[in-house]
Amino acid sequence: MFKLNLKIALRNLWKYKGYTLINIAGLSIGMASCILIFIFIRYQMSFDQQFKHKERIFRVVSYWKYADGEEYQRGVPIPLMSAVRNDFAQMEQVAPLQRGGGIIRVKDDLGREKIKETVTLYYVEPQFFKIFDYKWLQGNPQEALSSPNTVALSEEMAAKYFGDWHKAVGQTINYQNKKDLKVTGVFENILENTSNPIKIAVSYLTYSKRDDKHWGNVSSGTECYVLLKEGVRPADLKAGMKKFIEKYYDEEDRTRTQHFFQPLSEIHYDGHYGNFADKLMPKSQILGLVVIGLFLLITACINFINLATAQAISRSKEVGVRKVMGSLRRQLITQFLTETFTITLIALVLACTLTELALPGMASLFKERISFSLLEHPVVFVFLTGMVVLVSFLAGFYPAMVMSGFSPVLAIKNKVSSVNSGGVGLRKALVVVQFSITIILIIGTLVVLAQMKYMREKPLGFNSKSIALIDVPFDSLSLQRFDGFKEKILKVPGVLNASFCMAAPSSDDNNLTTINYRNNKDEDFQVNAKPADQDYFKTFGLELIAGRGLSRSDTTTEYVINETLLKKLNFSSPEEALGKVIKVGGKTRAPIVGVTKDFNNLTLKKGISPIAIFSLKKTANIIAVKMETKSMMSAMPELEKIWNSTFPEDVYSFDFMEDLIGNYYRSEQVMGILFKAFAAVIIFISFIGLFGLISFIASQRTREVAIRKVLGATTLELIKMLNGSFLLMVFFANLVAWPLAYVFISRWLAGYTYRIDLSIWPFAVAMLISMGITLITVSLRSYKAARTNPVDALKYE
Amino acid sequence: MIELKNIEKYYANKGVKSYILRHVTTSIKEGEFVSIMGPSGAGKSTLLNILGMLEDPTYGEYEFMGENITSLNERKRIELYRNHIGFVFQAYHLIDEMTVAENIEAPLLYKKIGGSERKSRVADVLDRFNMVAKKDLFPNQLSGGQQQLVGIARALVAQPSIILADEPTGNLQSAQALQIMDLFKKLNEEEGITIVQVTHSEINAGYGSRILHLLDGVIKEDVATTV
Repeated sequence: MFKLNLKIALRNLWKYKGYTLINIAGLSIGMASCILIFIFIRYQMSFDQQFKHKERIFRVVSYWKYADGEEYQRGVPIPLMSAVRNDFAQMEQVAPLQRGGGIIRVKDDLGREKIKETVTLYYVEPQFFKIFDYKWLQGNPQEALSSPNTVALSEEMAAKYFGDWHKAVGQTINYQNKKDLKVTGVFENILENTSNPIKIAVSYLTYSKRDDKHWGNVSSGTECYVLLKEGVRPADLKAGMKKFIEKYYDEEDRTRTQHFFQPLSEIHYDGHYGNFADKLMPKSQILGLVVIGLFLLITACINFINLATAQAISRSKEVGVRKVMGSLRRQLITQFLTETFTITLIALVLACTLTELALPGMASLFKERISFSLLEHPVVFVFLTGMVVLVSFLAGFYPAMVMSGFSPVLAIKNKVSSVNSGGVGLRKALVVVQFSITIILIIGTLVVLAQMKYMREKPLGFNSKSIALIDVPFDSLSLQRFDGFKEKILKVPGVLNASFCMAAPSSDDNNLTTINYRNNKDEDFQVNAKPADQDYFKTFGLELIAGRGLSRSDTTTEYVINETLLKKLNFSSPEEALGKVIKVGGKTRAPIVGVTKDFNNLTLKKGISPIAIFSLKKTANIIAVKMETKSMMSAMPELEKIWNSTFPEDVYSFDFMEDLIGNYYRSEQVMGILFKAFAAVIIFISFIGLFGLISFIASQRTREVAIRKVLGATTLELIKMLNGSFLLMVFFANLVAWPLAYVFISRWLAGYTYRIDLSIWPFAVAMLISMGITLITVSLRSYKAARTNPVDALKYE
Repeated sequence: MIELKNIEKYYANKGVKSYILRHVTTSIKEGEFVSIMGPSGAGKSTLLNILGMLEDPTYGEYEFMGENITSLNERKRIELYRNHIGFVFQAYHLIDEMTVAENIEAPLLYKKIGGSERKSRVADVLDRFNMVAKKDLFPNQLSGGQQQLVGIARALVAQPSIILADEPTGNLQSAQALQIMDLFKKLNEEEGITIVQVTHSEINAGYGSRILHLLDGVIKEDVATTV
């Protein structure tokens, strides 16, 4: 029976080739998109899941609440580690994870320098490996890093430094020209999908600041992981943490400081804290993708249902005959589901091929290594199976119910018409649903693109064009060479200005600190401190609205503040602030000498911070070099040459200011591309479905069209008749989609402090697009129907 | 085999009943060959549909092989289709997507008959109807008469005890019609299959053993044919 059903199914598919093609094309594209989304989400969900104790691993994080805001910080004070170890009995293990970085030098057998590179490394205690079960290839994790100046390397690094990882143990590498680190272990490479990409692990005893006692110093480079004892829940730690904070913080800090235990499984998703790998995937984005995936699948299924029920009439005779031969309704349903299943399977094969083709594009879009392999991830296979079953049922069940429900008498007498085959109303409703989804996506795409354009073009209040930010070493020896270096740089043709500073006006690297103005008491907000030299303003084109810029000095003797800080300190005018004495952080008290116009110092998702700019030479991290755009290409190699001769012990690296700002909006860019792609896919699916439906209706109404034509209807009138209901449906879909789209979009835009005003335009354009394409699609087919010779249609009746 | 008592069928429209069948009471014994005749609109097809359980009477009792049909559920009814009733239609109603052999095989699948027996029975029937050469053709590749032969073969293959035929020759030329009628007569006489046919043609009716004349839903005449 099954074999015969399958055979009949294939013959039926072949008989209605056009509709089969539409069904398969729609389904396979929809399924391919879903598979892509699934693979991506599976990858994202796999983060930090490879550890045996993953359920019990937590990260201690910090949180402060101020009068006008709050701050989340993944780092903790250094003394917190040992305090937690002493005060919490519920911990099985506590281990710091301290990030560091510098220059590693490796010598070859003859003592010549073979490798010199800047690396990121991590200081860890042996306990760390009790929490995270890394696989060690050589050495013992509990002994290898128990004494100072020892290091364990990942397989990859060991092979890079010593040719073959087997040779690494016992060798030494030099760190920062200061310490020789002895290699005592090699561990297996850490997977891509981890929040702590450790390649070089140095023993914690090597870390110079390990005995720091300041509870006020918190750096995002200092993380602390704990492994809870079996059976301990995070809620059990609340009371202990309260006591802990009272014990270690003074009265003022006690009220605003908090430490939480963040589960390992949330580190990859929580945008408040971030992680060392800088890989984040907010849960809301995953949800968004799931919704889009479902939308796509539903749209494809709706095509299927519409075409199948439209086709049902032509299958009615078969149903009638089978019924009088003794077929149970159940058997008919099975038969129709077999057909749907066949189509779905064919579509799946195509979908897998499409997925393979699209994967490289997606991997580069997300800058991740993603593979599509059934063997590697059996869960993908489970997903595919589940999807086929779901789609078969979703798409096949209703048509099967309709068709198997035909009365045999009517069916045999060929009296089943579209009216009693059911589904005319349903078909219309489904088309409306399908187009609502399409229109929502069109509107979403338009808004996302408009917002991106807005962010790209919005003046930030400073000039970011043709500026290179070149890292400079910050040891005291290098510091002495700064002035000479700058002099040489300014002589390079094309270089206009240069400024030593800690960070650019807009930067990820922000140093928040206290400010003290009246009464010798700290204000209840923090300022963004931006140490820089006197050329900062010229280099970045910052505009002063009162006073003057900084004068030349190596230490803090004066401040320039921005408008936001001006308002926060309750000055009525910029002029009033000039000459007033403030103290930023632990610096000296000094007068305000200038006020800059506000500039965007963070991404446009956030507002402008109060900012203080002052001289402090020893904190310079980078030198910002402003060049003429046309001579950038020739100037950059010159700069590198000068840099290398000035700081021969260090490694040259730089970023362009514009790239850094562009990076802020990477996730928006990705979102824009995704929206464009998925909107295109969904438009395609919807409109081939529409084309299929109009084709069917046109062929069903051939006789009616012919009779009307004989009665004197013109082609145009006939096209109008056939198009009318579709345009009406799409119009209704617009009405349904608009409020929904409005809700989604305003939510999304609310995440941006600087955003476009939501106008009627995206809605109107979406309506125009949807109605326009409908008109074209439907007219193509109805024109053909209206033009046929009535004799052909009538003579067979 | 069939007992009809006071069968009525009407459609109520705005309180006005339009009768299709009135007070139809008759019985058909096993082995009879009955022809139902009458002008258009007399209710012939409706009566046949009621006999075939495709339509329910509005009123009256119908016993098929001793079982009261009016109270039969869907499953039982399908059992009867599978084991006792074969239909032959005026428009043949073969399934277009199946070959001749597959069309004939279809009822056996629903009877859950094993593969090898199915094959032999289909081969048997094909042989008897001289259609072995055409077994892999599709219905639209056959002439009308040949299609109707397939239709009858399909009705026969499940070895029913009764064949219900609604104008089986209505779409055929006279030569082909005679061939079909000969076949019916042979099946009736040699295999004892009960046959009920609706027909317009006196000649066709003459092949049977009994004629029911229907007029405006009422049996006007019930006569045995004289051969």
